[in-house]
Amino acid sequence: MDIRNTTDRDPLFDALRAEVGRLDAPRGVEKELLQAFAKLHPPKRRWYHRLAVRPAALAGGVVAGALVLAFAVRAPHPVEDGRAGALVALDGNGVFIALDSAERIAAEPAPRMVATDVPRTSLAALGVPLTPENAGDSVRAEMLVAADGQPLALRLSAIQ
Amino acid sequence: MTTTPHDTDLLRQTRSGAADAFAALYRRHQGPLYRFALLRCGSADTAADVVQETFMGLLTDRFRFDPLRGQLQHFLFGVARNLILKNETAHQRHVVLDGDDGDDELPDDAACPLARLLDNEAAEEVRRALALLAPHYRDAVILYEMHDLSYAEIADICQVDIGTVRSRLSRGRAALAKRLAGWRATAGAA
Repeated sequence: MDIRNTTDRDPLFDALRAEVGRLDAPRGVEKELLQAFAKLHPPKRRWYHRLAVRPAALAGGVVAGALVLAFAVRAPHPVEDGRAGALVALDGNGVFIALDSAERIAAEPAPRMVATDVPRTSLAALGVPLTPENAGDSVRAEMLVAADGQPLALRLSAIQ
Repeated sequence: MTTTPHDTDLLRQTRSGAADAFAALYRRHQGPLYRFALLRCGSADTAADVVQETFMGLLTDRFRFDPLRGQLQHFLFGVARNLILKNETAHQRHVVLDGDDGDDELPDDAACPLARLLDNEAAEEVRRALALLAPHYRDAVILYEMHDLSYAEIADICQVDIGTVRSRLSRGRAALAKRLAGWRATAGAA
């Protein structure tokens, strides 16, 4: 108990001060209050936590949207400017398409791979064959994404 | 050297979701608040409920503290006192409805588990005399004698002027002295 100045206090209360001063609220009170606090302030969820619990189709749709945007940005670049060779390459696992510079991809500290299905129509600008029969199809793809969500590269693993 | 965070800093962190700040705030103030409620209403269970409801109100902003209007501890005492008054009013209404409109203001030992918490005879005698004081005298005496608050601080908590605090304290002390005179004489003789 805080005692700032006892000179004016009645000594009659000394015994009661000493006895009551050792008492605290039951531990259960703090426990219930902290539980109530936790309900009022649930832990903040990051955007990727929200994505993780959403249906896979929605996540795929978001990624596909990002791909369409990326291709829309990339599509106007002329193929004949000499950079096309660096932009698209074939490796053992399929078509590899760099969506950013090789330096940027190499410098990315925490890239991650996201598997998705890309509408074939979105890939037409990159030279993927498109016919009226397969225009509604999707192509299985893996996208390399930077820590900030920026698409870095794309591999088309099952293209026909 | 570490500095103790100010109440308003802890409260700001509490409002932004810091559980440890709320726990620190609670641990800092629960003791004095519980002891005030315990002596004021005489029941450990009621005192615990009052402490819980006071902090719950702080948490949910049901009781909004304004740092410009005084210290958090005084605000908490004021909230606890109002909750006790509300509880007493409800209890008195219940007693009257039951047809027992006698001198219900005096708590008996059966309703006062606090008596069981005190080992010291002198402390128990003072506690018993304190419990027999009228509630508005009890407020002033407990806050002054047990919590070392000034007249101005008690006036702020009880929402009365300083003169009223002074007179309540004086009358409360006189009533206590009168009730304890017999016990003092017996204890002195022993």
